[in-house]
Amino acid sequence: MRAPLLVFGALLGIAGATAAQQPDPRQQIQQLAIAPLRFNPPQPKRITLSNRVVVYLLEDHTLPLVTVQLVSKVGVANLPDSLWGVGWQADGLLRTGGTARLLPDSVDKLIDFYALNITFSTDHEQSFGTMSGLSRYTTQLLDLGFELMKSPRNDSSRVRITAAQQQENWRRRNDTPGQVLGRAWAQVLIGDHPLGRSLVKPEEIAGFTPERFRWVQERLFCPQNLVVGVSGDFQERQIVTALERQFRGWAACKPGLQEVPSLAFAAGPRVVLVEKDVNQTNIRMGHGGGIRVANTPDYFASQVADFLLGGSGFTSRLLSRVRGDSGFAYSAFSSWGAETDRDDQFFAQAQIRAEKTVAGMTLMRSTIGSMASEPVTAEDVKLAQDNEVNSFVFRFANASQIVAQQLSYAVDGLPPNWFDIYLRGIQAVSPAQVRQAAQRHLHPDKLVMVVVGKPSAFDRPLSALGAVTVLPVDSIIR
Amino acid sequence: MFRLLLLWSLLTSAAPALAQNASPGERLAVVKHVLPNGMTFLLLRRPGAPTASFVTHFRAGGVDEWTGISGTAHLFEHMLFKGSRSIGTKDLAGEQALFPAIDAIADSFTAEFRKGGMADSARLQRFRDRLKQLEDSARAFVVSNELDRILTENGAVGLNASTSNDVTNYYFSLPSNRAQLWFVLESDRLKHPVLREFYSERDVVMEERRLRTETQPFGLLIEEYLMAAFRAHPYGRPVVGHASEIQAVSRGSALEYFKRYYGPNNAVVAIVGDVNVDSMKTWATRYFGDIPAGDPHRPVVTQEPPQRGERRISVEFDANPQILIGYHVPNLRHADAPALQVLSQILTAGRTSRLFQRLVIRERKATTVASFQFPGSLYPRLFTFQGVPIAPHTTEAIERAIYDELERIQREPPTAEELQRVRNQSEAGSIQRLQSNFGLAFQLSNSEALWYDWRQTFRDQAALARVTAADVQRVARTYFSSTNRTVATLVRPAQTPEESH
Repeated sequence: MRAPLLVFGALLGIAGATAAQQPDPRQQIQQLAIAPLRFNPPQPKRITLSNRVVVYLLEDHTLPLVTVQLVSKVGVANLPDSLWGVGWQADGLLRTGGTARLLPDSVDKLIDFYALNITFSTDHEQSFGTMSGLSRYTTQLLDLGFELMKSPRNDSSRVRITAAQQQENWRRRNDTPGQVLGRAWAQVLIGDHPLGRSLVKPEEIAGFTPERFRWVQERLFCPQNLVVGVSGDFQERQIVTALERQFRGWAACKPGLQEVPSLAFAAGPRVVLVEKDVNQTNIRMGHGGGIRVANTPDYFASQVADFLLGGSGFTSRLLSRVRGDSGFAYSAFSSWGAETDRDDQFFAQAQIRAEKTVAGMTLMRSTIGSMASEPVTAEDVKLAQDNEVNSFVFRFANASQIVAQQLSYAVDGLPPNWFDIYLRGIQAVSPAQVRQAAQRHLHPDKLVMVVVGKPSAFDRPLSALGAVTVLPVDSIIR
Repeated sequence: MFRLLLLWSLLTSAAPALAQNASPGERLAVVKHVLPNGMTFLLLRRPGAPTASFVTHFRAGGVDEWTGISGTAHLFEHMLFKGSRSIGTKDLAGEQALFPAIDAIADSFTAEFRKGGMADSARLQRFRDRLKQLEDSARAFVVSNELDRILTENGAVGLNASTSNDVTNYYFSLPSNRAQLWFVLESDRLKHPVLREFYSERDVVMEERRLRTETQPFGLLIEEYLMAAFRAHPYGRPVVGHASEIQAVSRGSALEYFKRYYGPNNAVVAIVGDVNVDSMKTWATRYFGDIPAGDPHRPVVTQEPPQRGERRISVEFDANPQILIGYHVPNLRHADAPALQVLSQILTAGRTSRLFQRLVIRERKATTVASFQFPGSLYPRLFTFQGVPIAPHTTEAIERAIYDELERIQREPPTAEELQRVRNQSEAGSIQRLQSNFGLAFQLSNSEALWYDWRQTFRDQAALARVTAADVQRVARTYFSSTNRTVATLVRPAQTPEESH
């Protein structure tokens, strides 16, 4: 002990000598001259192609790179239930399954040789495509990217590969505690709704055929459902001509999709245990979020509440109490989701040392409750507001990001100036509104709690938190 | 089919000329500004949004730890977020008056803990409880997370740090009109760090270890694999630390580590964005100029002795199988490094690579096959293959295919098309890597910290274009012998029932 203490003393001595020469850093920060930030983010140009597809264009010639982004207004949850599993894998096959003209190997060779990046992704309620590469290969990029969408081959050899890979994914579904938690949570909170699924089941894999993949692709990736964005090193006139050419002759979207079924979240209180032999417990607790994205004080207040509760890292109540004050966990956070057309979920999550599981969960629950029961100060709210206002430049850091933002607003039905509205909304939030939002929408007494861990290692029986339902790991089917 | 004809005409017309000039990265107008104490600043003004990214690398990593303190480099990295003599405290004197008692209890705990199996668990618990109680008392003087709070309110993004075997880095980005704030805060925490809440943070690090390693099949496999492959060199030691050593690290050891390795002459800062380079220079001197130089960094003396035969380990975990296969290869500065990188790309980069084609596409035996060189760049490391089998195929089948493809490339050189593909990908990569301010700052600072030259990382990439088929074949023959190999397989313990599907 002696040696380290001496070192400590010596170090402080040196530090003290220099400290005398400079004012306290808090004073220095107060006195910093911060020039006003003059920044008008470049605005993408919005045009409409002759087939009425909307395109956002933003040129940026800093580097010889071009990026094309596509967002489709529909996703896997819009498919008939029997095609959910096919839909979840239709994105990968669009990229790997070849085209009517090109065998899969030829597509792979072109992409790898030109160092292009072409990916597709089907999500629950939207689908996406991204194509990027050196701008001198823009023609090749567009030709190949659009050909993949317009005439997918779904070569049977590649369908077999996808099936084998998904079968293996299913086999490995319980290998890590985080995977088990995510799937158990969705099954408990959302049940058998398409939005609660993330893994393709063996019976769905058995239904993989080229025709069924094509059925899905022709509906999720088709002109009327797409919004397009182009950013980077291109000339407007050439790219518009090229896009007109790419869309020419592309068949219209086919019927057969459905509205996303309405969603109901399970009601708490509930405690669900999935047993897994690990020395750290994975925990998620929450319920329906009760909020929609809208220009309402309640929505903006919920955003500030989430920031203060668990969305802002170290300064958030969850991380500072569960990690900083207690040393129970490395990670703890909250997520209070919202969509424009439906409610989403609220939850808090942490991975807590097994022998502090119940103490940690009790702390998490009381911290959620603290948003309504303990004061939310003006200083707290100002922190969230200052953070949003001062970091806004990072939302416009490059052309691709700016275009992506406009695509997302367009598909979500938000106005192009939504960010300004959002920023003003956040700035208008008061501490009372934050507490009201928490009182109205956060229910620490009605939490659904899902726990993945080894109960014999817990500090107390989990029943201290309520009646426990054991969910055998093999009964998690999503 | 006509597709092939079309494809080949396309490919041959696309081959760009070999780069004759310096790569785009090497041509960046970076201003290198070195203070008299040796602290190095790399400054680059770029047009675009008014943001500035700050990345600091210290020539201090896991390999620089001494015996018994594994994990300290990383734990110290956590501690630098706890503030300074000013930031993070309401009453420094009151707070620090409690440190000797806290450290004494921690020492008592460690003394008992050292007894291993003979330790008295009740005593250990008493010491733990007392330690918690005393740290909670000290916490009454603490302004929790003040550093983070100041940055959050100023709109900082991406505040984080990471510790690797070779170096430790710290970073965040600010709106560029607030750039001076970085100088105030960073110089303050470097000059006057206070390792407050040390022992509860030690518990946090233990949870980080459980999160990333002990509960993760791949994390555990990697750790065991490195320990098997390196018997002398510290690349075999987990950067996060052995569980027993994390629980016994003292505040004094962490400070000693800081004192040895965090001298300004071992620090490289890169600032990239919409900044005034002259102001940055002025502030660099004003805020960091008075820190006395420390000892220069001395590379690790230990060298891994040549391996004398294949090593095979199995790691039991309740999860499905996967495999790591590694060969000792030289460090990134060795003349063979570019050819090894090209070999890696030919074998596993992209869907057209040889092993991906064979294992994933043609034979459908693996969900994925990858290769990478790690766990560092400064010292000789491992050329590693990772394979994940699709049942009923086994890790043995993946192993056989990898050896088979290695033998094939030893016999038959890579084709001109394969080499051209690597060159094209490298050329695209040399531009893509310049896109973000943060990414660029990270690369500049990392390259200067490792090689005392910010251009080196760009030269390394450009060197790939000059690799010949004969080079690839030569390195494939030199390093990939069974004697030089370590194989680690994840297996399910015998008593755990196999999954039903």
